[in-house]
Amino acid sequence: MMLQYRVQWWTYLVVSVVGLIILTPFAWMASTAIMTTSQTLQVPPNIIPSPATLDGVREVFNRLPFLTLLWNTIIVSIGRVIGTLVICSMAAYALAVVKVPGDKAILIVILALIMVPSDIFIIPSYSIIASIRMTDTLAALALPSLFDVFGVFLLYQFFRGVPRELIEAARIDGASHLRILATIVVPVARSGIISLAILTTLAEWKELLWPIVVNRSIDKMTLGPGLALLRGEYTTDWNVLMAAGLLAALPMIVIFLILQKRFIASFARSGLK
Amino acid sequence: MTGTSTLRLNGGELTPSRSVLRLGSLKWRQATVGYLFLVPLIAGLLIFRFYAFGYNIWLSFTTAGAFGQPRFVGLDNYRRLFSDSQLVIALYNTVKFAAIAVPGVVIVSLLCALLMQYRFRGASIFRAIVFLPAVCLPTAIILVFGWLFQTQYGLINAAFHALGAEPMSWFGSETGVTAVVSIIVVYLSFSVPAIILYAGMQDLPSDVYEAAMLDGAGPVRRFFSITLPLLTPSLFFVILTSTIGILKLFDAVYLLLPPVDHSVSTNYGLTLVYYYYYLAFVDSGQRGYAAAVSLFLLLLILGVSIVLLRLQRRFVHYGEDG
Repeated sequence: MMLQYRVQWWTYLVVSVVGLIILTPFAWMASTAIMTTSQTLQVPPNIIPSPATLDGVREVFNRLPFLTLLWNTIIVSIGRVIGTLVICSMAAYALAVVKVPGDKAILIVILALIMVPSDIFIIPSYSIIASIRMTDTLAALALPSLFDVFGVFLLYQFFRGVPRELIEAARIDGASHLRILATIVVPVARSGIISLAILTTLAEWKELLWPIVVNRSIDKMTLGPGLALLRGEYTTDWNVLMAAGLLAALPMIVIFLILQKRFIASFARSGLK
Repeated sequence: MTGTSTLRLNGGELTPSRSVLRLGSLKWRQATVGYLFLVPLIAGLLIFRFYAFGYNIWLSFTTAGAFGQPRFVGLDNYRRLFSDSQLVIALYNTVKFAAIAVPGVVIVSLLCALLMQYRFRGASIFRAIVFLPAVCLPTAIILVFGWLFQTQYGLINAAFHALGAEPMSWFGSETGVTAVVSIIVVYLSFSVPAIILYAGMQDLPSDVYEAAMLDGAGPVRRFFSITLPLLTPSLFFVILTSTIGILKLFDAVYLLLPPVDHSVSTNYGLTLVYYYYYLAFVDSGQRGYAAAVSLFLLLLILGVSIVLLRLQRRFVHYGEDG
Protein backbone atom coordinates (compact mmCIF):
# COMPACT_ATOMS: atom_id res chain seq x y z
CA MET A 1 0.00 0.00 0.00
CA MET A 2 1.25 3.38 -0.96
CA LEU A 3 1.62 6.50 1.10
CA GLN A 4 -1.49 8.59 1.19
CA TYR A 5 -0.99 11.89 -0.50
CA ARG A 6 -1.89 15.01 1.44
CA VAL A 7 -4.95 16.71 -0.01
CA GLN A 8 -4.35 20.35 -0.81
CA TRP A 9 -6.48 23.06 -2.35
CA TRP A 10 -5.07 22.42 -5.80
CA THR A 11 -6.11 18.77 -5.58
CA TYR A 12 -9.71 19.95 -5.47
CA LEU A 13 -9.05 22.37 -8.32
CA VAL A 14 -7.51 19.72 -10.60
CA VAL A 15 -10.15 17.13 -9.68
CA SER A 16 -12.98 19.58 -10.41
CA VAL A 17 -11.51 20.66 -13.73
CA VAL A 18 -10.92 17.06 -14.88
CA GLY A 19 -14.35 15.96 -13.65
CA LEU A 20 -16.10 18.84 -15.39
CA ILE A 21 -14.30 18.22 -18.68
CA ILE A 22 -15.38 14.57 -18.59
CA LEU A 23 -18.97 15.57 -17.79
CA THR A 24 -19.26 18.34 -20.42
CA PRO A 25 -20.30 16.07 -23.33
CA PHE A 26 -22.95 14.44 -21.12
CA ALA A 27 -24.26 17.81 -19.95
CA TRP A 28 -24.40 19.14 -23.51
CA MET A 29 -26.16 15.98 -24.66
CA ALA A 30 -28.75 16.32 -21.89
CA SER A 31 -29.22 20.02 -22.51
CA THR A 32 -29.65 19.65 -26.28
CA ALA A 33 -32.04 16.74 -25.77
CA ILE A 34 -34.63 19.03 -24.19
CA MET A 35 -34.35 21.84 -26.75
CA THR A 36 -36.51 22.42 -29.81
CA THR A 37 -34.83 22.05 -33.18
CA SER A 38 -34.85 25.81 -33.71
CA GLN A 39 -33.23 26.34 -30.32
CA THR A 40 -30.33 24.16 -31.45
CA LEU A 41 -29.80 26.41 -34.48
CA GLN A 42 -29.08 29.63 -32.62
CA VAL A 43 -25.90 31.61 -32.95
CA PRO A 44 -24.46 31.98 -30.38
CA PRO A 45 -25.88 28.77 -28.87
CA ASN A 46 -28.01 28.84 -25.74
CA ILE A 47 -26.54 26.57 -23.13
CA ILE A 48 -29.69 26.33 -21.03
CA PRO A 49 -32.78 25.33 -23.01
CA SER A 50 -35.61 27.81 -22.54
CA PRO A 51 -38.28 26.69 -22.58
CA ALA A 52 -37.33 23.05 -22.06
CA THR A 53 -39.38 20.64 -24.14
CA LEU A 54 -39.79 16.92 -24.64
CA ASP A 55 -40.42 17.31 -28.39
CA GLY A 56 -37.06 15.79 -29.22
CA VAL A 57 -37.67 12.80 -27.00
CA ARG A 58 -41.11 12.25 -28.58
CA GLU A 59 -39.61 12.55 -32.04
CA VAL A 60 -37.11 9.77 -31.24
CA PHE A 61 -39.97 7.31 -30.93
CA ASN A 62 -41.48 8.55 -34.22
CA ARG A 63 -38.31 8.13 -36.21
CA LEU A 64 -36.78 5.05 -34.63
CA PRO A 65 -38.27 1.79 -33.36
CA PHE A 66 -36.48 2.71 -30.16
CA LEU A 67 -38.11 0.11 -27.91
CA THR A 68 -37.37 -2.62 -30.46
CA LEU A 69 -33.73 -1.53 -30.54
CA LEU A 70 -33.55 -1.52 -26.74
CA TRP A 71 -35.26 -4.92 -26.54
CA ASN A 72 -32.88 -6.34 -29.18
CA THR A 73 -29.89 -5.01 -27.27
CA ILE A 74 -31.10 -6.61 -24.04
CA ILE A 75 -31.92 -9.95 -25.70
CA VAL A 76 -28.64 -10.14 -27.61
CA SER A 77 -26.64 -9.12 -24.51
CA ILE A 78 -28.33 -11.74 -22.34
CA GLY A 79 -27.92 -14.41 -25.00
CA ARG A 80 -24.29 -13.53 -25.54
CA VAL A 81 -23.53 -13.46 -21.81
CA ILE A 82 -25.16 -16.84 -21.17
CA GLY A 83 -23.54 -18.43 -24.22
CA THR A 84 -20.12 -17.00 -23.39
CA LEU A 85 -20.32 -18.02 -19.74
CA VAL A 86 -21.37 -21.59 -20.57
CA ILE A 87 -18.75 -22.11 -23.28
CA CYS A 88 -15.94 -20.39 -21.40
CA SER A 89 -16.59 -21.95 -18.01
CA MET A 90 -16.77 -25.46 -19.49
CA ALA A 91 -13.52 -24.91 -21.37
CA ALA A 92 -11.82 -23.30 -18.36
CA TYR A 93 -12.96 -26.22 -16.19
CA ALA A 94 -11.41 -28.71 -18.59
CA LEU A 95 -8.13 -26.78 -18.58
CA ALA A 96 -7.88 -25.71 -14.95
CA VAL A 97 -9.62 -28.48 -13.01
CA VAL A 98 -9.62 -31.65 -15.15
CA LYS A 99 -6.29 -30.64 -16.73
CA VAL A 100 -6.85 -32.71 -19.86
CA PRO A 101 -3.73 -34.01 -21.62
CA GLY A 102 -2.55 -31.28 -23.99
CA ASP A 103 -3.93 -28.47 -21.81
CA LYS A 104 -0.72 -26.46 -22.11
CA ALA A 105 -0.85 -26.55 -25.90
CA ILE A 106 -4.50 -25.47 -25.89
CA LEU A 107 -3.66 -22.61 -23.51
CA ILE A 108 -0.87 -21.41 -25.79
CA VAL A 109 -3.28 -21.38 -28.75
CA ILE A 110 -5.78 -19.43 -26.62
CA LEU A 111 -3.17 -16.87 -25.58
CA ALA A 112 -2.07 -16.47 -29.20
CA LEU A 113 -5.67 -15.95 -30.32
CA ILE A 114 -6.16 -13.22 -27.68
CA MET A 115 -3.59 -11.21 -29.65
CA VAL A 116 -5.63 -11.46 -32.86
CA PRO A 117 -8.51 -8.96 -32.90
CA SER A 118 -11.85 -10.29 -34.10
CA ASP A 119 -12.38 -7.27 -36.38
CA ILE A 120 -9.94 -8.91 -38.78
CA PHE A 121 -12.47 -11.70 -39.35
CA ILE A 122 -15.57 -9.73 -40.35
CA ILE A 123 -15.39 -10.69 -44.04
CA PRO A 124 -15.10 -14.47 -43.56
CA SER A 125 -17.49 -14.36 -40.56
CA TYR A 126 -20.05 -12.65 -42.76
CA SER A 127 -19.58 -15.35 -45.41
CA ILE A 128 -20.05 -18.08 -42.79
CA ILE A 129 -23.20 -16.47 -41.41
CA ALA A 130 -24.53 -15.86 -44.93
CA SER A 131 -23.86 -19.45 -45.97
CA ILE A 132 -26.04 -20.75 -43.13
CA ARG A 133 -28.66 -18.12 -44.03
CA MET A 134 -28.51 -16.37 -40.70
CA THR A 135 -27.96 -12.78 -41.79
CA ASP A 136 -30.51 -10.33 -40.45
CA THR A 137 -31.14 -12.33 -37.30
CA LEU A 138 -30.48 -11.43 -33.68
CA ALA A 139 -28.59 -14.68 -33.17
CA ALA A 140 -26.09 -13.66 -35.86
CA LEU A 141 -25.12 -10.63 -33.79
CA ALA A 142 -23.85 -12.74 -30.90
CA LEU A 143 -22.80 -16.03 -32.52
CA PRO A 144 -19.19 -15.29 -33.63
CA SER A 145 -18.28 -13.67 -30.30
CA LEU A 146 -19.46 -16.53 -28.08
CA PHE A 147 -16.09 -18.28 -28.39
CA ASP A 148 -14.30 -15.76 -26.27
CA VAL A 149 -10.66 -16.75 -25.77
CA PHE A 150 -10.07 -13.91 -23.31
CA GLY A 151 -13.04 -15.16 -21.27
CA VAL A 152 -11.59 -18.67 -21.15
CA PHE A 153 -8.27 -17.31 -19.94
CA LEU A 154 -9.92 -15.08 -17.31
CA LEU A 155 -12.01 -17.95 -15.92
CA TYR A 156 -9.02 -20.32 -16.16
CA GLN A 157 -7.16 -18.08 -13.72
CA PHE A 158 -10.10 -17.99 -11.32
CA PHE A 159 -10.84 -21.73 -11.58
CA ARG A 160 -7.23 -22.57 -10.77
CA GLY A 161 -7.74 -20.85 -7.44
CA VAL A 162 -10.61 -23.13 -6.41
CA PRO A 163 -9.34 -25.37 -3.56
CA ARG A 164 -8.48 -28.86 -4.84
CA GLU A 165 -9.89 -30.51 -1.67
CA LEU A 166 -13.39 -29.25 -2.45
CA ILE A 167 -13.29 -30.84 -5.89
CA GLU A 168 -11.69 -34.11 -4.69
CA ALA A 169 -14.32 -34.39 -1.95
CA ALA A 170 -17.11 -33.95 -4.45
CA ARG A 171 -15.49 -36.52 -6.77
CA ILE A 172 -15.36 -39.04 -3.95
CA ASP A 173 -19.04 -38.40 -3.28
CA GLY A 174 -19.63 -39.36 -6.89
CA ALA A 175 -20.59 -35.95 -8.24
CA SER A 176 -20.31 -35.55 -12.01
CA HIS A 177 -18.01 -32.94 -13.52
CA LEU A 178 -20.97 -30.92 -14.72
CA ARG A 179 -22.33 -30.91 -11.19
CA ILE A 180 -18.97 -29.92 -9.68
CA LEU A 181 -18.66 -27.11 -12.19
CA ALA A 182 -22.15 -25.80 -11.47
CA THR A 183 -22.29 -26.27 -7.70
CA ILE A 184 -18.68 -25.80 -6.55
CA VAL A 185 -16.38 -24.16 -9.10
CA VAL A 186 -18.76 -21.50 -10.40
CA PRO A 187 -19.97 -20.36 -6.95
CA VAL A 188 -16.42 -20.25 -5.54
CA ALA A 189 -15.11 -18.37 -8.58
CA ARG A 190 -18.20 -16.19 -8.89
CA SER A 191 -16.33 -12.89 -8.97
CA GLY A 192 -14.60 -14.09 -12.14
CA ILE A 193 -17.95 -15.14 -13.61
CA ILE A 194 -19.49 -11.75 -12.74
CA SER A 195 -16.53 -9.91 -14.25
CA LEU A 196 -16.81 -11.86 -17.48
CA ALA A 197 -20.57 -11.22 -17.57
CA ILE A 198 -20.04 -7.46 -17.13
CA LEU A 199 -17.22 -7.25 -19.69
CA THR A 200 -19.25 -9.29 -22.20
CA THR A 201 -22.34 -7.10 -21.75
CA LEU A 202 -20.29 -3.95 -22.26
CA ALA A 203 -18.60 -5.44 -25.32
CA GLU A 204 -22.00 -6.15 -26.86
CA TRP A 205 -23.24 -2.60 -26.15
CA LYS A 206 -20.17 -1.20 -27.85
CA GLU A 207 -20.45 -3.34 -30.96
CA LEU A 208 -20.87 -1.35 -34.16
CA LEU A 209 -18.94 -2.85 -37.07
CA TRP A 210 -20.30 -6.41 -36.91
CA PRO A 211 -23.99 -5.43 -36.55
CA ILE A 212 -23.92 -3.09 -39.55
CA VAL A 213 -22.15 -5.76 -41.59
CA VAL A 214 -24.36 -8.73 -40.78
CA ASN A 215 -27.79 -7.14 -40.29
CA ARG A 216 -29.52 -4.76 -42.67
CA SER A 217 -33.05 -4.24 -41.35
CA ILE A 218 -33.57 -1.76 -38.56
CA ASP A 219 -35.74 -4.08 -36.44
CA LYS A 220 -32.82 -6.53 -36.17
CA MET A 221 -30.38 -3.88 -34.94
CA THR A 222 -29.07 -3.00 -31.50
CA LEU A 223 -29.02 0.50 -30.01
CA GLY A 224 -25.53 1.59 -31.06
CA PRO A 225 -25.84 1.02 -34.82
CA GLY A 226 -29.58 1.86 -34.74
CA LEU A 227 -28.79 5.29 -33.36
CA ALA A 228 -26.41 5.97 -36.24
CA LEU A 229 -29.38 5.79 -38.62
CA LEU A 230 -30.83 8.96 -37.06
CA ARG A 231 -28.00 10.93 -38.58
CA GLY A 232 -29.83 12.46 -41.47
CA GLU A 233 -28.60 12.31 -45.03
CA TYR A 234 -29.70 15.93 -45.62
CA THR A 235 -30.08 17.68 -42.26
CA THR A 236 -29.65 16.48 -38.73
CA ASP A 237 -32.00 17.46 -35.92
CA TRP A 238 -29.48 17.55 -33.14
CA ASN A 239 -32.07 17.70 -30.38
CA VAL A 240 -33.62 14.41 -31.60
CA LEU A 241 -30.21 12.81 -32.01
CA MET A 242 -29.09 13.88 -28.53
CA ALA A 243 -32.37 12.75 -26.97
CA ALA A 244 -31.89 9.36 -28.60
CA GLY A 245 -28.28 9.21 -27.42
CA LEU A 246 -29.29 10.04 -23.88
CA LEU A 247 -32.10 7.47 -23.84
CA ALA A 248 -29.80 4.82 -25.28
CA ALA A 249 -26.93 5.57 -22.90
CA LEU A 250 -29.02 5.78 -19.74
CA PRO A 251 -29.79 2.08 -19.08
CA MET A 252 -26.12 1.12 -18.90
CA ILE A 253 -25.21 4.21 -16.86
CA VAL A 254 -27.92 3.33 -14.31
CA ILE A 255 -26.72 -0.29 -14.13
CA PHE A 256 -23.16 1.00 -13.69
CA LEU A 257 -24.12 3.34 -10.86
CA ILE A 258 -25.87 0.47 -9.05
CA LEU A 259 -23.07 -2.07 -9.56
CA GLN A 260 -20.17 0.41 -9.49
CA LYS A 261 -17.77 -1.70 -7.41
CA ARG A 262 -18.36 -4.78 -9.57
CA PHE A 263 -17.77 -2.78 -12.75
CA ILE A 264 -14.53 -1.26 -11.53
CA ALA A 265 -13.23 -4.64 -10.34
CA SER A 266 -14.08 -6.08 -13.77
CA PHE A 267 -12.21 -3.31 -15.56
CA ALA A 268 -9.19 -3.91 -13.37
CA ARG A 269 -9.37 -7.61 -14.27
CA SER A 270 -9.47 -6.87 -17.97
CA GLY A 271 -5.80 -5.97 -17.38
CA LEU A 272 -4.93 -9.45 -16.11
CA LYS A 273 -1.94 -10.80 -17.91
CA MET B 1 -23.48 -46.31 2.38
CA THR B 2 -21.45 -45.69 -0.76
CA GLY B 3 -18.26 -46.05 1.24
CA THR B 4 -19.08 -49.51 2.56
CA SER B 5 -20.19 -50.83 -0.80
CA THR B 6 -16.96 -49.63 -2.41
CA LEU B 7 -14.96 -51.27 0.35
CA ARG B 8 -16.74 -54.55 -0.20
CA LEU B 9 -16.12 -54.26 -3.90
CA ASN B 10 -12.43 -53.55 -3.38
CA GLY B 11 -11.94 -56.37 -0.94
CA GLY B 12 -13.91 -58.84 -3.02
CA GLU B 13 -12.62 -58.67 -6.54
CA LEU B 14 -9.75 -56.25 -7.03
CA THR B 15 -6.39 -57.63 -8.06
CA PRO B 16 -3.38 -55.28 -8.44
CA SER B 17 -3.30 -55.52 -12.21
CA ARG B 18 -6.96 -54.71 -12.53
CA SER B 19 -6.61 -51.72 -10.21
CA VAL B 20 -4.01 -50.24 -12.57
CA LEU B 21 -6.35 -50.87 -15.43
CA ARG B 22 -9.22 -49.20 -13.64
CA LEU B 23 -7.08 -46.24 -12.68
CA GLY B 24 -6.11 -45.91 -16.33
CA SER B 25 -9.68 -46.05 -17.51
CA LEU B 26 -10.71 -43.55 -14.83
CA LYS B 27 -8.07 -41.11 -16.07
CA TRP B 28 -9.18 -41.74 -19.60
CA ARG B 29 -12.80 -41.15 -18.64
CA GLN B 30 -11.87 -37.91 -16.90
CA ALA B 31 -10.00 -36.77 -19.98
CA THR B 32 -12.96 -37.65 -22.18
CA VAL B 33 -15.24 -35.50 -20.05
CA GLY B 34 -12.66 -32.71 -20.18
CA TYR B 35 -12.45 -32.89 -23.96
CA LEU B 36 -16.24 -32.92 -24.19
CA PHE B 37 -16.24 -29.70 -22.16
CA LEU B 38 -13.82 -28.21 -24.67
CA VAL B 39 -15.88 -29.21 -27.70
CA PRO B 40 -18.11 -26.09 -27.92
CA LEU B 41 -15.15 -23.72 -27.63
CA ILE B 42 -12.92 -25.62 -30.03
CA ALA B 43 -15.72 -26.13 -32.57
CA GLY B 44 -16.47 -22.40 -32.48
CA LEU B 45 -12.81 -21.44 -32.78
CA LEU B 46 -12.32 -23.89 -35.64
CA ILE B 47 -15.17 -22.26 -37.55
CA PHE B 48 -14.87 -18.58 -36.60
CA ARG B 49 -11.10 -18.36 -36.22
CA PHE B 50 -9.21 -21.08 -38.06
CA TYR B 51 -11.56 -21.75 -40.97
CA ALA B 52 -12.33 -18.01 -41.14
CA PHE B 53 -8.63 -17.21 -41.25
CA GLY B 54 -7.95 -19.76 -43.99
CA TYR B 55 -10.97 -18.55 -45.93
CA ASN B 56 -9.77 -14.96 -45.59
CA ILE B 57 -6.37 -15.92 -47.01
CA TRP B 58 -8.02 -17.79 -49.87
CA LEU B 59 -10.32 -14.82 -50.58
CA SER B 60 -7.30 -12.54 -50.75
CA PHE B 61 -6.13 -14.47 -53.83
CA THR B 62 -9.44 -14.04 -55.62
CA THR B 63 -11.77 -11.42 -56.98
CA ALA B 64 -14.76 -12.04 -54.76
CA GLY B 65 -17.74 -9.71 -54.97
CA ALA B 66 -21.09 -9.56 -53.27
CA PHE B 67 -22.47 -11.89 -55.96
CA GLY B 68 -21.10 -14.63 -58.13
CA GLN B 69 -18.26 -17.06 -57.63
CA PRO B 70 -14.83 -15.79 -56.55
CA ARG B 71 -12.25 -16.06 -59.34
CA PHE B 72 -8.64 -16.97 -58.55
CA VAL B 73 -6.28 -14.16 -59.52
CA GLY B 74 -3.04 -15.14 -57.83
CA LEU B 75 -1.09 -12.29 -56.32
CA ASP B 76 -3.05 -9.51 -58.06
CA ASN B 77 -4.59 -8.22 -54.83
CA TYR B 78 -1.22 -8.12 -53.14
CA ARG B 79 0.30 -6.26 -56.08
CA ARG B 80 -2.56 -3.79 -55.77
CA LEU B 81 -1.70 -3.27 -52.09
CA PHE B 82 1.59 -1.70 -53.13
CA SER B 83 0.12 0.69 -55.68
CA ASP B 84 -3.06 1.75 -53.87
CA SER B 85 -3.02 5.42 -52.89
CA GLN B 86 -6.20 4.99 -50.78
CA LEU B 87 -4.44 2.33 -48.73
CA VAL B 88 -1.53 4.70 -48.15
CA ILE B 89 -4.01 7.30 -46.86
CA ALA B 90 -5.72 4.75 -44.62
CA LEU B 91 -2.40 3.50 -43.23
CA TYR B 92 -1.17 7.06 -42.69
CA ASN B 93 -4.35 8.07 -40.85
CA THR B 94 -4.39 4.94 -38.71
CA VAL B 95 -0.77 5.35 -37.64
CA LYS B 96 -1.30 9.09 -37.10
CA PHE B 97 -4.33 8.55 -34.84
CA ALA B 98 -2.38 5.97 -32.84
CA ALA B 99 0.68 8.24 -32.57
CA ILE B 100 -1.44 11.08 -31.17
CA ALA B 101 -4.08 9.22 -29.17
CA VAL B 102 -1.87 6.63 -27.41
CA PRO B 103 0.24 9.29 -25.61
CA GLY B 104 -3.03 11.12 -24.94
CA VAL B 105 -4.57 8.04 -23.32
CA VAL B 106 -1.42 7.45 -21.24
CA ILE B 107 -1.27 11.04 -19.98
CA VAL B 108 -4.98 11.37 -19.18
CA SER B 109 -5.20 7.95 -17.52
CA LEU B 110 -2.02 8.63 -15.49
CA LEU B 111 -3.50 11.93 -14.33
CA CYS B 112 -6.78 10.28 -13.32
CA ALA B 113 -4.95 7.40 -11.59
CA LEU B 114 -2.84 9.92 -9.63
CA LEU B 115 -5.93 11.89 -8.63
CA MET B 116 -7.66 8.71 -7.49
CA GLN B 117 -4.78 8.18 -5.04
CA TYR B 118 -5.88 11.17 -3.02
CA ARG B 119 -8.49 10.72 -0.30
CA PHE B 120 -10.50 13.86 -0.92
CA ARG B 121 -14.17 14.45 -0.26
CA GLY B 122 -16.15 13.25 -3.25
CA ALA B 123 -13.46 10.76 -4.29
CA SER B 124 -16.08 8.10 -5.04
CA ILE B 125 -18.01 10.55 -7.22
CA PHE B 126 -14.83 11.35 -9.10
CA ARG B 127 -14.18 7.65 -9.64
CA ALA B 128 -17.69 7.18 -11.03
CA ILE B 129 -17.16 10.13 -13.39
CA VAL B 130 -13.88 8.67 -14.65
CA PHE B 131 -15.75 5.50 -15.60
CA LEU B 132 -18.72 7.14 -17.30
CA PRO B 133 -17.08 7.23 -20.75
CA ALA B 134 -16.33 3.50 -20.52
CA VAL B 135 -19.93 2.50 -19.75
CA CYS B 136 -21.71 4.98 -22.01
CA LEU B 137 -22.79 3.87 -25.47
CA PRO B 138 -19.87 4.91 -27.75
CA THR B 139 -22.27 5.87 -30.55
CA ALA B 140 -23.93 8.42 -28.26
CA ILE B 141 -20.57 9.89 -27.18
CA ILE B 142 -19.23 10.06 -30.73
CA LEU B 143 -22.38 11.80 -31.97
CA VAL B 144 -22.31 14.32 -29.12
CA PHE B 145 -18.72 15.18 -30.07
CA GLY B 146 -19.89 15.57 -33.64
CA TRP B 147 -22.43 18.06 -32.32
CA LEU B 148 -19.92 19.88 -30.09
CA PHE B 149 -17.59 20.36 -33.05
CA GLN B 150 -20.33 21.16 -35.55
CA THR B 151 -19.12 24.02 -37.73
CA GLN B 152 -22.07 26.46 -37.69
CA TYR B 153 -23.92 25.81 -34.44
CA GLY B 154 -21.43 23.82 -32.39
CA LEU B 155 -20.40 24.80 -28.89
CA ILE B 156 -16.65 24.65 -29.58
CA ASN B 157 -16.78 27.06 -32.49
CA ALA B 158 -19.01 29.36 -30.43
CA ALA B 159 -16.35 29.32 -27.71
CA PHE B 160 -13.68 30.05 -30.35
CA HIS B 161 -15.75 32.97 -31.57
CA ALA B 162 -16.26 34.31 -28.03
CA LEU B 163 -12.50 34.17 -27.45
CA GLY B 164 -11.90 36.09 -30.65
CA ALA B 165 -10.44 33.16 -32.60
CA GLU B 166 -11.47 32.09 -36.08
CA PRO B 167 -14.15 29.37 -36.06
CA MET B 168 -12.83 26.19 -37.63
CA SER B 169 -14.30 23.80 -40.16
CA TRP B 170 -13.59 20.74 -38.03
CA PHE B 171 -14.77 18.14 -40.51
CA GLY B 172 -13.50 19.90 -43.61
CA SER B 173 -9.79 19.87 -42.90
CA GLU B 174 -7.21 17.26 -42.05
CA THR B 175 -6.13 19.04 -38.86
CA GLY B 176 -9.74 19.36 -37.76
CA VAL B 177 -10.61 15.70 -38.33
CA THR B 178 -7.36 14.57 -36.70
CA ALA B 179 -8.03 16.72 -33.63
CA VAL B 180 -11.67 15.67 -33.21
CA VAL B 181 -11.01 11.96 -33.80
CA SER B 182 -8.03 11.94 -31.41
CA ILE B 183 -10.02 13.70 -28.68
CA ILE B 184 -12.89 11.23 -29.06
CA VAL B 185 -10.57 8.23 -28.99
CA VAL B 186 -8.82 9.46 -25.84
CA TYR B 187 -12.17 10.25 -24.22
CA LEU B 188 -13.57 6.80 -25.01
CA SER B 189 -10.51 4.83 -23.97
CA PHE B 190 -8.80 6.38 -20.92
CA SER B 191 -11.06 4.88 -18.21
CA VAL B 192 -9.85 1.29 -18.17
CA PRO B 193 -6.14 2.29 -18.34
CA ALA B 194 -6.81 4.67 -15.43
CA ILE B 195 -7.98 1.83 -13.16
CA ILE B 196 -5.14 -0.44 -14.32
CA LEU B 197 -2.55 2.25 -13.52
CA TYR B 198 -4.31 3.03 -10.24
CA ALA B 199 -4.16 -0.65 -9.27
CA GLY B 200 -0.49 -0.66 -10.27
CA MET B 201 0.19 2.33 -8.02
CA GLN B 202 -1.38 0.50 -5.07
CA ASP B 203 1.26 -2.21 -5.38
CA LEU B 204 4.27 0.13 -5.27
CA PRO B 205 6.43 -0.33 -2.15
CA SER B 206 5.88 2.49 0.34
CA ASP B 207 9.37 2.19 1.90
CA VAL B 208 10.93 3.54 -1.29
CA TYR B 209 8.72 6.62 -0.99
CA GLU B 210 9.56 7.06 2.67
CA ALA B 211 13.27 6.87 1.90
CA ALA B 212 12.88 9.38 -0.93
CA MET B 213 10.97 11.77 1.30
CA LEU B 214 13.65 11.52 3.99
CA ASP B 215 16.16 12.42 1.29
CA GLY B 216 14.04 15.47 0.53
CA ALA B 217 12.60 14.47 -2.85
CA GLY B 218 9.55 16.55 -3.71
CA PRO B 219 6.31 15.17 -5.20
CA VAL B 220 7.38 15.89 -8.80
CA ARG B 221 10.75 14.23 -8.31
CA ARG B 222 9.09 11.25 -6.59
CA PHE B 223 6.66 10.88 -9.48
CA PHE B 224 9.34 10.87 -12.19
CA SER B 225 12.05 8.97 -10.29
CA ILE B 226 9.95 6.40 -8.44
CA THR B 227 6.34 6.14 -9.57
CA LEU B 228 6.93 6.12 -13.33
CA PRO B 229 9.85 3.64 -13.39
CA LEU B 230 8.12 1.26 -10.96
CA LEU B 231 4.88 1.55 -12.89
CA THR B 232 6.40 0.51 -16.24
CA PRO B 233 4.79 -2.98 -16.26
CA SER B 234 1.29 -1.49 -16.02
CA LEU B 235 2.23 1.36 -18.35
CA PHE B 236 3.48 -1.10 -20.90
CA PHE B 237 0.25 -3.07 -20.75
CA VAL B 238 -1.76 0.14 -21.19
CA ILE B 239 0.35 1.23 -24.17
CA LEU B 240 0.09 -2.20 -25.84
CA THR B 241 -3.69 -2.55 -25.46
CA SER B 242 -4.52 1.02 -26.43
CA THR B 243 -2.22 0.88 -29.46
CA ILE B 244 -3.92 -2.28 -30.72
CA GLY B 245 -7.31 -0.75 -29.95
CA ILE B 246 -6.58 2.39 -31.93
CA LEU B 247 -5.01 0.53 -34.88
CA LYS B 248 -8.44 -1.02 -35.43
CA LEU B 249 -10.31 2.25 -35.00
CA PHE B 250 -13.61 2.23 -36.82
CA ASP B 251 -16.64 3.52 -34.92
CA ALA B 252 -15.62 7.18 -34.48
CA VAL B 253 -14.55 7.75 -38.09
CA TYR B 254 -17.49 5.81 -39.49
CA LEU B 255 -20.04 7.79 -37.48
CA LEU B 256 -18.44 11.20 -38.03
CA LEU B 257 -17.64 10.73 -41.70
CA PRO B 258 -20.29 8.33 -43.01
CA PRO B 259 -19.56 6.57 -46.31
CA VAL B 260 -22.82 7.83 -47.87
CA ASP B 261 -21.39 11.34 -48.09
CA HIS B 262 -18.80 10.50 -50.77
CA SER B 263 -17.06 13.66 -49.65
CA VAL B 264 -13.31 14.23 -49.72
CA SER B 265 -13.36 14.72 -45.95
CA THR B 266 -13.96 10.96 -45.55
CA ASN B 267 -10.34 10.61 -46.65
CA TYR B 268 -9.16 12.59 -43.63
CA GLY B 269 -10.60 9.94 -41.35
CA LEU B 270 -10.22 6.83 -43.48
CA THR B 271 -8.68 4.11 -41.30
CA LEU B 272 -7.64 0.60 -42.32
CA VAL B 273 -10.71 -1.08 -40.82
CA TYR B 274 -12.97 1.57 -42.37
CA TYR B 275 -11.25 1.02 -45.72
CA TYR B 276 -11.74 -2.73 -45.86
CA TYR B 277 -15.26 -2.43 -44.48
CA TYR B 278 -15.97 0.03 -47.30
CA LEU B 279 -14.36 -2.19 -49.93
CA ALA B 280 -16.18 -5.32 -48.82
CA PHE B 281 -19.63 -4.09 -47.87
CA VAL B 282 -20.30 -0.62 -49.29
CA ASP B 283 -18.46 -0.26 -52.55
CA SER B 284 -19.82 -3.02 -54.83
CA GLY B 285 -18.24 -5.72 -52.69
CA GLN B 286 -14.56 -6.01 -53.56
CA ARG B 287 -14.18 -8.73 -50.93
CA GLY B 288 -11.07 -10.32 -52.37
CA TYR B 289 -9.05 -7.14 -52.15
CA ALA B 290 -10.70 -6.23 -48.82
CA ALA B 291 -9.50 -9.57 -47.43
CA ALA B 292 -5.95 -8.68 -48.49
CA VAL B 293 -6.26 -5.30 -46.75
CA SER B 294 -7.54 -6.97 -43.57
CA LEU B 295 -4.55 -9.33 -43.59
CA PHE B 296 -2.31 -6.31 -44.01
CA LEU B 297 -3.87 -4.81 -40.86
CA LEU B 298 -3.35 -8.10 -39.01
CA LEU B 299 0.34 -8.06 -39.95
CA LEU B 300 0.60 -4.44 -38.83
CA ILE B 301 -0.99 -5.22 -35.45
CA LEU B 302 1.19 -8.30 -34.90
CA GLY B 303 4.29 -6.37 -35.99
CA VAL B 304 3.58 -3.49 -33.63
CA SER B 305 2.85 -5.94 -30.79
CA ILE B 306 6.16 -7.73 -31.35
CA VAL B 307 8.10 -4.46 -31.47
CA LEU B 308 6.43 -3.28 -28.25
CA LEU B 309 7.13 -6.63 -26.55
CA ARG B 310 10.80 -6.31 -27.57
CA LEU B 311 10.96 -2.78 -26.20
CA GLN B 312 9.34 -4.02 -23.01
CA ARG B 313 12.31 -6.28 -22.31
CA ARG B 314 14.63 -3.34 -22.56
CA PHE B 315 12.70 -0.69 -20.67
CA VAL B 316 10.26 -2.32 -18.32
CA HIS B 317 11.35 -2.60 -14.73
CA TYR B 318 10.03 -5.68 -12.94
CA GLY B 319 11.24 -5.56 -9.29
CA GLU B 320 13.82 -8.12 -8.07
CA ASP B 321 11.50 -11.11 -8.06
CA GLY B 322 10.09 -10.50 -11.55
